[in-house]
Amino acid sequence: QQQQQQQQQQSKKEESQKDAHPPSKTKSESIFSHLPPARDMDEYEEGFSGASLGTKQQHKDLHPRVLELGLLYASGQIRGGNARCRAMLECFSDVLEDYQPPQDCRDIRAHLDQHILKPSFSYWAEDCRPHSVSMGNAFTFLKSAVASLDRDMSLEEIITVLQETTKAYVQERLDFADQVISDFASTKIVDGDVILTYAHSSVVESLLKSAASSEKKFRVVVADSRPLLEGKTLLKSLREAGIECCYILLNSLSYIMQDVTKVFLGASALMSDGSVLSRVGTACVALLAQSSNKTVLVCCETYKMSNRVQLESITGNELGSPQFVVSKDLQGFRDQKNLMLLNLLYDLTPSNVVSGIVTEMGILPPTSVAVL
Amino acid sequence: MTDPDPATVDDYPIVIQDLLHYLGPRTSLDDKSAVALPVAAIKALLQVVQRSKANTMMGLQDELKESSQSMLDYALEGTLLGRSHIALASGCELFLKYITRTFLETPDFDACKGQVLERGEHFAGISLAARDRIANVGHGFIRDGQTVLTHGWSRVVAALLLKAAETTHFDIVILEGRPDAAGAKAAALYAQEGIPTKVVLDSAMGYVMESVDLVLVGAEGVVENGGIVNKMGTFALAVNAQESNVPFYVAAESYKFARLYPLHQKDLPTMGGLNQQHLDFVDTASWHRTGREGPSSTKKQQDTNATSTPHEPSNTVSGIVTIPHNVKVDNPPCDYTPAKYITLLFTDLGVLTPSAVSDELIRLYQ
Repeated sequence: QQQQQQQQQQSKKEESQKDAHPPSKTKSESIFSHLPPARDMDEYEEGFSGASLGTKQQHKDLHPRVLELGLLYASGQIRGGNARCRAMLECFSDVLEDYQPPQDCRDIRAHLDQHILKPSFSYWAEDCRPHSVSMGNAFTFLKSAVASLDRDMSLEEIITVLQETTKAYVQERLDFADQVISDFASTKIVDGDVILTYAHSSVVESLLKSAASSEKKFRVVVADSRPLLEGKTLLKSLREAGIECCYILLNSLSYIMQDVTKVFLGASALMSDGSVLSRVGTACVALLAQSSNKTVLVCCETYKMSNRVQLESITGNELGSPQFVVSKDLQGFRDQKNLMLLNLLYDLTPSNVVSGIVTEMGILPPTSVAVL
Repeated sequence: MTDPDPATVDDYPIVIQDLLHYLGPRTSLDDKSAVALPVAAIKALLQVVQRSKANTMMGLQDELKESSQSMLDYALEGTLLGRSHIALASGCELFLKYITRTFLETPDFDACKGQVLERGEHFAGISLAARDRIANVGHGFIRDGQTVLTHGWSRVVAALLLKAAETTHFDIVILEGRPDAAGAKAAALYAQEGIPTKVVLDSAMGYVMESVDLVLVGAEGVVENGGIVNKMGTFALAVNAQESNVPFYVAAESYKFARLYPLHQKDLPTMGGLNQQHLDFVDTASWHRTGREGPSSTKKQQDTNATSTPHEPSNTVSGIVTIPHNVKVDNPPCDYTPAKYITLLFTDLGVLTPSAVSDELIRLYQ
């Protein structure tokens, strides 16, 4: 009987382990084994319906908006540091509308933290998609806003204050910052410039549009890469704004580089030594630009600055689903035991390659990020 | 560079008159005690505060901004050493920031005004003393038996070298400094003080680099990433120095720290009057002909609104070749030296590495 119990316990453990880390076939001996494996869409197909994502016991108390947002994160419909952060803060704002603490609750703040904020965030980060630095910083801000509330405030007051605080945060540190960055960076664009950008950064998009509306004559080269091909959305948006564009994949980069005058890149996070964590491929673009003596400007809001220092792209990264790397010849990759398909999402651009970082505080040299 | 006609001085706005008054009589550009342009500007701005009839902070700030702008416009006309207008602009901006902080601390305007004057005097005092402080922090970097290479005319560099000469024996090599013969002026001063001085052609900077131990220059402005804007030729000198592993030092006061971020040479703000200058001819006479006649060792262009002092006797040189009019001439007064070529900056805030300049700027403008 004891043996049976033990067996039961073991299988329960395995079950929960299986749930926590879906057994995608990234081979465990790789140097990326420290990163949580990606959700393999084929393996986890039914797992991508919202109801299934929220089937675990601890998720039963989550607000439907949180589950909905989790699905959008996991399926990749919301991408980009700013977009994810905005969506998160909007979601919290909506959840607060419906928030009702239990009658016997002594400290609303603690209840709010433990039953709304923490569970939602850990659900997104662990079950849907690892969080970005922008989301992390915004979440820390929200937690400290909750903690600094008055103990005796009424529920309505708390909700109003928190909603206003999140709204102000988005306005100041995202919207306003983007505007100021666009203004600073546009002063550096002169007539005749050929601007190179990579993938799709929301800040770079808005600065190019604002430069175009101020009648400057320049053209843009959008560099892109598989599997996400995010540059296509940027290209469409710039064409709608009437900007002359050229679209290349990364392999033509060295050819186009001789015509380029400036490079504008976005960032997912800024490390405190000035290195830039951004979409994989950014480091290539920056390195090639610097070796051809072109100016590389990274546009990043200050809320994306991280206290971490990362020395290379391996320690802090995110694995995407390997099946996006698949072409028709690699269909059977799951069965090949010596074959690993790697789909990394981020890479690190060292600070010596970056000419300047455009933030809402002005244009700074990379070495001064730590001062901010 | 002529002094403004005394008859028309009264037509200028009061702030300009003050500025000219504080700049003092233009005895000689070599005069090491002459007041720097930004310092005189700061003193003129203090006068604006004293005369001001504004009743609100915004009103006073507007008046100060207007006065700074009119001083800047005046400087850009080329009548006031057009080159140093970067330092003028940054000095005025820093002064405005410095006293604006007072507004935040003392909401009551009248009490505030008194404090503003006090702080302003303090700031002016710091700026005046800046040159001496720089000489104190920097002179120890020159050791006995070394050879110092310098370029352009800078009162800060002169103060530093003269201070070093009090305790150390060293040589100076100076680049000629076309087109305004700045090197010649500097050479005269150093020779007078008994320091062994040698003048070489600008193009000889690579040739002399192997026999030089350090390079020391001043700056018109220090930009955000720690690079400097200085007399044309500084960039080439810096690249050369780095290639030969010779340390490249810059001596600059902290009011020269400007909120500019040039990305390349053409990304500098317009230099005003001097940019419009043209070389009308190229002096191809041989070296010994332009040698030691008269107090200055070389004579450059014949353009009368040139920057050379009006006091130098004209040493005309025979055998001049003129450039035909359909040949374009480009003669910008300044170039931009990126931070990676600069070893250290000697400032009144201490000895800084180029990356520390941005940290200081963030602090100053916070």
